[in-house]
Amino acid sequence: MSKMVLTRLGMALISLLAVSAIIFWCVEFLPGDAAERILGRNATPESLALLREKLHLNLSAGERYLHWLTSLLSGDFGTSLVADRPVLDYIASRIANTALLSGFALILYIPISIGFGILTAIYRGRFTDHAISVIVLIFMCLPEFVIGILLISIFAIKLAWLPPLALIGSAQSFGQLVELMALPTITIVAAMSAYAVRMMRESLIEVLDSSYVLMARLKGLPKWRVLLFHALPNALGPAINITALNVAWMIGGVVVVEAVFEFPGIGRLMVDSISHKDVPVILAISIVMTGAYIVTNLVADLLVILLNPKLR
Amino acid sequence: MSVAEIDPVASSTRARIGLSASGWVGAAIILLYVFVAVTGPWWAPYGATKILTGSPFEGASLQHPFGTDNLGRDVFSRVVFGTRSVLTMTFAATILAVLAGGMIGVVLGYLRNWVDEIGMRIVDILISIPTLVLALLIISAVGNSLWLVVVTVAFLFTPRVARVARAATLNVVTNDYVAAALARGESTMSICLREILPNIMGVMLVEFAIRSAFAIIFIGSLGFLGFGAPPPTPEWGLMINEARANATNSLWPVLAPAAAMAVLVIAINLLADSLSRLIDQQGVSPAKGDK
Repeated sequence: MSKMVLTRLGMALISLLAVSAIIFWCVEFLPGDAAERILGRNATPESLALLREKLHLNLSAGERYLHWLTSLLSGDFGTSLVADRPVLDYIASRIANTALLSGFALILYIPISIGFGILTAIYRGRFTDHAISVIVLIFMCLPEFVIGILLISIFAIKLAWLPPLALIGSAQSFGQLVELMALPTITIVAAMSAYAVRMMRESLIEVLDSSYVLMARLKGLPKWRVLLFHALPNALGPAINITALNVAWMIGGVVVVEAVFEFPGIGRLMVDSISHKDVPVILAISIVMTGAYIVTNLVADLLVILLNPKLR
Repeated sequence: MSVAEIDPVASSTRARIGLSASGWVGAAIILLYVFVAVTGPWWAPYGATKILTGSPFEGASLQHPFGTDNLGRDVFSRVVFGTRSVLTMTFAATILAVLAGGMIGVVLGYLRNWVDEIGMRIVDILISIPTLVLALLIISAVGNSLWLVVVTVAFLFTPRVARVARAATLNVVTNDYVAAALARGESTMSICLREILPNIMGVMLVEFAIRSAFAIIFIGSLGFLGFGAPPPTPEWGLMINEARANATNSLWPVLAPAAAMAVLVIAINLLADSLSRLIDQQGVSPAKGDK
């Protein structure tokens, strides 16, 4: 087993290294070099030469990549060109915001997917099942920004219950924070839960039809006991895989959701930095997001190995 | 096929028709969209970019079925014209991805040697970058013309398609007819194209359907973020983004393109679901959950 884990760890590291090269290479192609971008119209040949020297732009791309990589490994993400602050300070608060949003979403996601999964499975073929399944299908098909816009149209514009934008910097109390975060959280949960409910339904139905569940029923155990203690634990396996996929999706999808609600998170900063061509920030965010994505997949793989005695 | 096995009446009718009822509904809606895309420019009441066809933010009326936007452009006409650009971009990107990914996957799955090993490692690495992050990087590097967006989306989907095509190939490649072709002395290219490809056609068809649904969402998201086709292209994601700032004045310019996109994606998913149930007996499941 340890060999398997080590191989996966090694693969993840190699992926991260390769990805960093790909991202660096992509950013190399941004029009104009960093010195021209910083100085803009004030550029004179002398000041350009000076700044290029300072930013190591006179080195070759390969040397700069190595330089960037080594400073990255020592925790130095460079300096933001726009904010003129260390990138790490700059993005840390944004990462915290995004983590808060993802946390809110996950707290709701787990009971919702399991709950609706159970409902559709035990009422299979009846009205409750059909109604939930249709809603799930619709949410599965809707792009997250369309879900977000629909929620804003209904709850912020028509009913005026909740604020349309999640500018959480203005929150005074926890209640206000929850109010501001409500719509983006619901958007992410709706987009994520849909697939999980469907998977949960399928795997629970499979388990409910198995002979050991029938046996438990014939023993005369109450229905809820059979469901919660006999069937559910065995139906959760596939749900873990889906959750990993969902968390991985969320790392990318959060960019769009944050843009819809102008939520001050890392995804929104990514979009802003690209339009300002703030290269060090773009590089840092891409690496952080890809790293999170790779780690999520790694953790999911390891969890599956740990939970499955056959693979251990 | 589970329904067909249980119900003898259903099996006699459905086996002949092939698709389930929801699959036919999906197919019909897709055909309607294609019809609108092809013929729309002849009957759309106004031009896609014609401003002040009425006063700004008009509600729905006979002249403007979906109202007008902030520049007084007719939302209905823009949605109709948008069908053409959205379908063109989506299908161009998906066809490119399925062709390239299919070829790569089939060849790798057939070879199963060190080339396959290296190829799959590269595929794994490319898949481990969140699609949207990579798309934003590439598009900001190469620019956002309509065709660059198409090529970028195709590039992002190719490794994902390659993975599915390879998995399907692995199921087929052990069959005797492949060994027979090899014994006849057929070339690798001819075995891949004439023996393997026809036998994974079903899987690739489902993959094509699922990928095009993803492509619509993805291209829409890019447009929404301002990284898709440049304005004033009547692309739905871009339209939603432009109209969003004025959503308090009129919801029509936001909801009409959103609904157009949602119905199309649902239709494609219905068709894809029913197609994949049709070919399930082949024993290869297409991409799942890669949203």
